[in-house]
Amino acid sequence: MVGPQYDLVGNPLGAVRATFERAAAAAAAAESGGNDPVAAFRGKDWGASDLFRSFLFEEGGLDKVPVLNASSIGLIKPNTLVRYRGMVQDMLGTEFYIGAFKDGSTWRTNKFTDFSPFSMPHPCESHLWERNLFHCVPAPGQNAWTLESSPGPDMRMIADCLATEQREKRKRDIDNDDMDVCLYILLYYCNNSGFKIYYSHLMLCFKQVSENDHGDSSSFSKKPKEDDTLASSSSTEVPATALEMNGGDHHIPGSTFSCLVKVYDMLESQVKLNDVVEFIGVYTFDPELAAPTDNPDDIMLDLMEDVTAQLPPSKVPRLHCLVWKKLSSHDFISKVPVVEPSSSLLKGIRQSLLSHLTLVLGNDELAAQCLLLHLLSRLRNKVDVVTVGRLSLNFTGFDRESASIFGNQLHKLIQRLVPYSQAIPLSIEYLNTATLQPRKDNKSGRLVTGVLQLPQGAHLTFDETTLQTGSLTSKGVENTVLLKSLMESQMVEYDFEYYKLEMATDVQMLTLSEGKSNILPSDLIVPFRPSSVPAVNAGSEEFESWRWYLATVRSLPQSTEPETYQMIQDEMVSAMRDDRSLGCSELSRWLTMAQIMASSFGEKSLSMEHWQMVKELERLRKERLQ
Amino acid sequence: MASNGGGSSPPSISSPDVRQSSPLAPTNSSPPQSARSGGGRRRRGSASPYPSSPSLGGFETPPHSGRRTPSGAGGARQRQNWTGRFPPTPSTPMSTDDIPPSSDAGDEDTPETDGGGGVDATPVYVWGTNISVQDVNAAILRFLRHFRDPRDAGRVMDEGKYMRTIHRILELEGVQALEVDAHDIYDHDPDLYGKMVRYPLEVLAIFDIVLMDLVARIEPLFEKHITTRIYNLKSSICLRNLNPSDIEKMVSIKGMIIRSSSIIPELKEAVFRCLVCGFFSEPIMVDRGRVTEPRVCEKEQCKATNSMTLVHNRCRFVDKQIIKLQETPDEIPEGGTPHTVSVLMHDKLVDAGKPGDRVEITGIYRAMSIRIGPTQRTVKSIFKTYIDCIHIKKTDKSRLHVEDAMETDDSKASQSPEEDFLSDKIEKLKELSKLPDIYDRLTRSLAPNIWELDDVKRGLLCQLFGGNALKLPSGARFRGDINILLVGDPGTSKSQLLQYMHKLSPRGIYTSGRGSSAVGLTAYVTKDPETGETVLESGALVLSDKGVCCIDEFDKMSDNARSMLHEVMEQQTVSIAKAGIIASLNARTSVLACANPTESRYNPRLSVIDNIHLTPTLLSRFDLIYLILDKADEQTDRRLAKHIVSLHFENPNLEQLEVLDLQTLVSYISYARKYVHPQLSDEAAEELTRGYVEMRKRGNHPGSRKKVITATARQMESLIRLSEALARMRFSEVVEVRDVEEAFRLLEVAMQQSATDHATGTIDMDLIMTGISASERQRRENLVAATRNLIMEKMQLGGPSMRMIELLEELRTQSSMEIHLHDLRGALGTLMTEGAIVIHGDNVKRV
Repeated sequence: MVGPQYDLVGNPLGAVRATFERAAAAAAAAESGGNDPVAAFRGKDWGASDLFRSFLFEEGGLDKVPVLNASSIGLIKPNTLVRYRGMVQDMLGTEFYIGAFKDGSTWRTNKFTDFSPFSMPHPCESHLWERNLFHCVPAPGQNAWTLESSPGPDMRMIADCLATEQREKRKRDIDNDDMDVCLYILLYYCNNSGFKIYYSHLMLCFKQVSENDHGDSSSFSKKPKEDDTLASSSSTEVPATALEMNGGDHHIPGSTFSCLVKVYDMLESQVKLNDVVEFIGVYTFDPELAAPTDNPDDIMLDLMEDVTAQLPPSKVPRLHCLVWKKLSSHDFISKVPVVEPSSSLLKGIRQSLLSHLTLVLGNDELAAQCLLLHLLSRLRNKVDVVTVGRLSLNFTGFDRESASIFGNQLHKLIQRLVPYSQAIPLSIEYLNTATLQPRKDNKSGRLVTGVLQLPQGAHLTFDETTLQTGSLTSKGVENTVLLKSLMESQMVEYDFEYYKLEMATDVQMLTLSEGKSNILPSDLIVPFRPSSVPAVNAGSEEFESWRWYLATVRSLPQSTEPETYQMIQDEMVSAMRDDRSLGCSELSRWLTMAQIMASSFGEKSLSMEHWQMVKELERLRKERLQ
Repeated sequence: MASNGGGSSPPSISSPDVRQSSPLAPTNSSPPQSARSGGGRRRRGSASPYPSSPSLGGFETPPHSGRRTPSGAGGARQRQNWTGRFPPTPSTPMSTDDIPPSSDAGDEDTPETDGGGGVDATPVYVWGTNISVQDVNAAILRFLRHFRDPRDAGRVMDEGKYMRTIHRILELEGVQALEVDAHDIYDHDPDLYGKMVRYPLEVLAIFDIVLMDLVARIEPLFEKHITTRIYNLKSSICLRNLNPSDIEKMVSIKGMIIRSSSIIPELKEAVFRCLVCGFFSEPIMVDRGRVTEPRVCEKEQCKATNSMTLVHNRCRFVDKQIIKLQETPDEIPEGGTPHTVSVLMHDKLVDAGKPGDRVEITGIYRAMSIRIGPTQRTVKSIFKTYIDCIHIKKTDKSRLHVEDAMETDDSKASQSPEEDFLSDKIEKLKELSKLPDIYDRLTRSLAPNIWELDDVKRGLLCQLFGGNALKLPSGARFRGDINILLVGDPGTSKSQLLQYMHKLSPRGIYTSGRGSSAVGLTAYVTKDPETGETVLESGALVLSDKGVCCIDEFDKMSDNARSMLHEVMEQQTVSIAKAGIIASLNARTSVLACANPTESRYNPRLSVIDNIHLTPTLLSRFDLIYLILDKADEQTDRRLAKHIVSLHFENPNLEQLEVLDLQTLVSYISYARKYVHPQLSDEAAEELTRGYVEMRKRGNHPGSRKKVITATARQMESLIRLSEALARMRFSEVVEVRDVEEAFRLLEVAMQQSATDHATGTIDMDLIMTGISASERQRRENLVAATRNLIMEKMQLGGPSMRMIELLEELRTQSSMEIHLHDLRGALGTLMTEGAIVIHGDNVKRV
């Protein structure tokens, strides 16, 4: 065969069907014994996904696939190939559908669609197949830089396409509403998702449209005013919302752009809750299906309503996934250096990052060192209640003022370094009102998200300086307990009404407080002693290299020689002899820090040198604590 | 083709997809066995519950002559002469083996086909399958009549298990279901079982018909319908593994009801009335959810068209309910969310389970296509799935099946082992209990990641196993729960132990003393803001009734709150007299508290009592008070270091001790708590008395009254409880002397009494034993013995002194053990207290 005969991006379903018919015919020929040729295709692929895989990854088709997100949804035609990045927020179980049916003498498939493209003869031979449903949302706290790196065709291109298409459409029938709605959508999304760059361009497109179309200037005569206000507000709002130390509004239900992904031929255990996954598949939208069915003629159906009923296709797009891939923080880095992470390269970047951290922290080098270790920490192991590898950090000595100066800077910095981060002002009011705990709503069958439903590797900054004396309600108490257990055991309890289910997380937590925080007992407490105001000057290239550094170091494997074990044990014993107050938790933390220290230099194994560095760090820290 | 239990394969009925066998099929597929049973019955018209088989209605077949021409029956059926006994007398069941009724082909029918009746001697097949209705019919009848429970083997029964059950149903009013254990079917006839699981709709319909026939024969006047409820399938499927191949199959799943709908009346029989003449129609059965409204009045004189209207009052309805079943937490894989499935309940099953119940449901998995609407042309290709419930069984809830183990009057419980503990599991547990090192093994298995503290873990084990609660006829109660207080230096993983216990114990409640108030722990009265009624709300202790209440930071609790514990810890009740409510709530809970010493760190210069600083009234209520002291000791330090390192690096070199996994541990404990109730043996009682007297003596040391914890009668009770718990660990019904000895040892070790100077009440820090494992203790004892021998050998009484280094050298040459100087120092210290030697600096002198 010479290349795909279908436009895989524009008409993926055609390609699916073509491969299916070919495979079915081949199977039928091979098994003439009267056995059902299609039965074998249940739960497995007949070559369609291979076709797409090779198209996407080998022939470079990936760049042609548009990204489905809040800003592009209005522009993408149904039944085309899209890609979508999101966090699996809820798993809605499986759905049974007629996978294949016999239309006359040929087998047809419904895979990757919601409805049959051909009318199904009523009683017909058919096969029931299943698919998994995932409710996905953009990862909470996802930082702006990760969006830049998500490739795909230029928005401008799509906008152009849309404009021409729109023009054609308008020629066919002059439909102001359509245009208006579309424009509103665009404006809305431009304002909300920081795609301001394209805004002017889009306006231009539409102006052109309106110029070409002199039939109705009325709708546009009133438009520019609104546009102006929207535009002006957006210019102030975008940076404000994006950078403000308030990540809370990520969790207002409905405000996020969610997507119902239907995944085929997958063991459910392959994807876990809160995984961030990229799905590439067919975006479907059928107005007939979207129309609300207002005749619940069958009481049975009404009662057995499934979850999807609450996610109307008009609000939550459906995506039939062909290819999927779990994303790690590496996948967000746009320019990946091809070189192997050599130790000298890493050391260089480490130095530059450390000096930048020091600057941001007002020349407090100790704090900068600790922050670096904190940023590089990840959960390595978990045995029962003991977690190994986490390193939560508590900067003390802040008051409201310094928290606003340094805290903001710090959060801005973290935002530009890690893929997901949120800043939470820990006030009495917040504790009493915020929904931290994800909760299963058994009425609707959905998992209602909470602030603590976070992707692996998320970063949280708590500002405890806003906390004042006051009384906590029962909800406030629950919230503090949740935060504490998250901090101590990296577990979040999800409320399933009749029982609680603990979900493992890997979240880095930084607390800014006046004194040692008791609500959030961190592993490492560092009194913060700045000697100057924060100074920030770093180019985007530097940030890119730092991001790459953080992602690389965090994923470095660790191996340690048996001699090192002995050495560390001896070290610990002598340390205990010197200081009787050392306990299991301190020593364990030292070892964690030493390990991170070693990998921060790009070393794969821990050596005495790093252990000594950590001890020195501890000594300095202890001095401050006194 | 159906082949009943090893019968010869049927001769000719050919391809499996015969939809409706030809009426002239020359052969009958029944294997020879069917000759002995068959299903000769008289059909009762109203018997069928399945409206989809209309032919059954009013279908009365005269009893066939038993003799059929061999050509018609294919020669396979050998009839015996049974006609003479037909119809049977109502009171005598036809259960004798020698009078098997024949199969009566004429009244066989499938629920699916409109077998218009009258087709005699025709094997009728279930649509699209190779199931011969006659065969199934015969097999079911055979099963019902002849199945005998193997467990009844000893007893002489003239009737099978299910015949007896049927009789009972007939005698009792109100029971309308025959519960059939699927295991029994399998044991009796695996083939029938297989058919039933694969084609449940058809087979169950036949089952009901057979059953009703049987009933009719026994009691012709019995009017009510009896449903067959199958339960306990061979294999139960996990909710998330339900897949399209299970559709229309019988499945058994476990789960938790999370939601139930209101009860829906579903129309079963509709009655219409003519608006013109008022004529009432015959009841019309609802067929597959549809009622065909008569178009014309049936009355001869009327014949009005479109005049019929539904009369609600005269229609027959059945209850229907839809519940949502969700996976139980233990079946959810890590990082997944629970799946749910809808379950349809009919009739008696309605409201059989409430939201929150854990149930096991046997039912038929079904799928239903979704039509978007009558006007729309696209048919959605999606199916909704649900389970048609046949049987529902509630299953147990808690992690530890403690149920009434703490109850004072449940000594009978041990006589009826429940099915929760499957026999093979019990065997495994019993085998475990016979291991000589089970005590140590259990100790190791408890919080294996918390380093050392072996004796503390032993105490906690005792707490988990618990003693026997006792209720005297006079009304006096002795608790069986063991209360433990851990007092220790910061950073000795007390809190982690608490967390672990909290996870392990049923209904464990974890609170922190700092944040707990008296009412929060016990119970409090609130006013309902809406109604103004006073409501009693339970606190932590009441909520952990029959569990372990873990209280962290006990020392930081307010005195007021602590004093509330007095009642709970001894009487095990919480009394409330407040706002018009006077109540006494049960709080049969074991308290596990932990505290720091008064000055945060243990001060060796102060006495134990001064360090703990709790009122003696409260202290005496704790059975075990552990002083976990952080003592400078290179050995323990090294072990700690090793432990931490092994946590961080998964080092394969580190030895992996044999431990029970959490699941086994939990079931071991729960089994012991439920079924093992050890009694004191005479020798053990004697030992207890002796030891107690000794303890009292020690307390009477002049001037020590205030400085040490004196033994009281409470200690005696504690010792009994501890020894009982220790016996329980071995699944032993008798408390032996060694249990008592170990109980004494635990008590001593806990309080560091071996290291306490009774004159001053202080502890000699070098003698602390906590955290030293048994083997280590053994090693030390050996060393002491070896040193003593050496000294006796080498040194003369009052002779020249020896340097410690020299002794060490000598010892090293003698024994294979690795000996450090500090070990020797410890051993010499012991010898010095014995008065055998004197130490001056580095020199040792025998005296």
